[in-house]
Amino acid sequence: MIRRPIKQTTTLLLGLASVAVLLLAYTWLSHRQHQENPDDTTIPTWSQLADGVQKACSVDKREGQRWIVVDAKATASRFFLGLGAGVAGAIVLGMLMGCFTPIEAFCYPPLSLLAKVPPTAAMAVFFVLVGTELNMYVAMIAFGVLPTLALTVFLGVKEFPEELQYKAYTLGATSTEVIASIIFRQVLPRLLDGARLMIGPALVYLIAAEMLVGDVGFGYRIRLQSKLLNMGVVYPYLALLAAFGFGMDYALRWLQRKWCPWFEKAQG
Amino acid sequence: MTAASPELSLECRAVHHGFGRKPVLFDINLRLRRGQFLGLVGPSGCGKSTLLRGIVGTHLPRQGQILIHSAASGNTLVPVVGPGRDRGIVYQHYSLFPFLTAQENVAIGLMLDQTSIPFRLFAWPKWRKLRKEHLTLAGEFLEKVRLGDALHLYPHELSGGMKQRVAIAQALIMKPEIILLDEPFGALDEGTREDLQKWMLTLYQDNTRARARGESPPYTLIIVTHELTEAIYVGDRMVGLSQHWDWRKEGYDACPGATVVYDKPCPVFEPQDAKDYQTFAVQREEVRRAAFDSKVLMDRNEFVTYWKETPG
Repeated sequence: MIRRPIKQTTTLLLGLASVAVLLLAYTWLSHRQHQENPDDTTIPTWSQLADGVQKACSVDKREGQRWIVVDAKATASRFFLGLGAGVAGAIVLGMLMGCFTPIEAFCYPPLSLLAKVPPTAAMAVFFVLVGTELNMYVAMIAFGVLPTLALTVFLGVKEFPEELQYKAYTLGATSTEVIASIIFRQVLPRLLDGARLMIGPALVYLIAAEMLVGDVGFGYRIRLQSKLLNMGVVYPYLALLAAFGFGMDYALRWLQRKWCPWFEKAQG
Repeated sequence: MTAASPELSLECRAVHHGFGRKPVLFDINLRLRRGQFLGLVGPSGCGKSTLLRGIVGTHLPRQGQILIHSAASGNTLVPVVGPGRDRGIVYQHYSLFPFLTAQENVAIGLMLDQTSIPFRLFAWPKWRKLRKEHLTLAGEFLEKVRLGDALHLYPHELSGGMKQRVAIAQALIMKPEIILLDEPFGALDEGTREDLQKWMLTLYQDNTRARARGESPPYTLIIVTHELTEAIYVGDRMVGLSQHWDWRKEGYDACPGATVVYDKPCPVFEPQDAKDYQTFAVQREEVRRAAFDSKVLMDRNEFVTYWKETPG
């Protein structure tokens, strides 16, 4: 029989087992590599990884700062500003397009076209328009997530039943109230879902851009240390990125549950 | 008929409507007394919902006027130009806001009607206090309809009958001039439907008591239904809309649309009365002949006798 239910403890044990297998396999791989070449840094041993973490967290002699701190500051500020700008723009554009048909007719064609342009490929455009500093990264992430998110919001507004809109008017709502107090509340959980799905792409755009032109940040550090084959630093950085993405995903799910407690069950 | 009688709640004057070239409504003339419960029936596709939308104001008719009583304009009839808080609506589906609890759903009308976005943003201490009053009032409303336990449930957690009860409370709390119900009980099981019909009859009782005290009756209702029994049971007047009438006699080559072919008073029932299908049978048969039988094409005024029968 397929999809036969299993006990909760079994689920937990299997999950832990998969992590254990992963760690063991890595240990064995690294052990074998170091028997062939004791100076290998491509598959670092656990102690080499610990050294890498140590290196990333201690004050660098040349730069006078801790890598992890400067990189995290740069990457996080770029990421949050970019995603925030993209989400804000998507709300405004998506709501306007969903509520006003002329705006829909005017904005839909360019938006569906621009959604297909890879933002990293268009980096030179942002470079020319807003310079190389923070602005460029923010503009690129915002531009990357905005079309998809705006379409998500737009489709959510379009799905809003006409009857509920009429009902709001019969209850004394003005058009602004229908948009801001009724339709937006209905669309909000879908927007949060959309934002969750865009965390991955936003990180890809950002890291790629940092690898290409950055002089600080996670992408920059990973590229530099990869070139030096310092995988003891690269792997912890990757783990941090994964943890960050996971945390963001969790935070947005938490916000959805807090702001829209009706949503999850109403879907089922 | 130009001078508005203060007793009238709604008037349709020569209302015509159509979609593209297809005519739907033809020369609808209807006057509704304040405190009346009107059952609107007719074969499917005859334009009952179109007429209702015209009254709500979301889809205005092509020709003719729909007027509604307005106390604010010195008890005159004013033309409907769009949806407004003086006409409440209860739909069969989509009747509640899914992101609000039952209590908030009932309270939202008070919020939308009495406050504005700037007020809620910039005077929020005042707004919070008012909000509490709204919620208390909504809670009391729901207690009255035996939904005291369901105040904090979301619509998807309510049964169909509970949802419609909340939806009707949501409309009632606004004290609108008229409440329009579009097949409100169509999706409910028999027992629940009868429960809600009895609730409508208690509202009618409130009307009767108000009249006895010399006050204006508080509830005026139009209930669109495909069930003739429901119209007779709940309403005190039944109007049949139909495309099956003798339009050739009035000089048309093709049917110019559905019109009022039946308009007569209905017996009034008390909520505690048993639903006696025998008493419905005669009138039911009459409406069926007048409005539903496509082979019987009669003069459209044959059964439109409401104002002759109850002139006072």
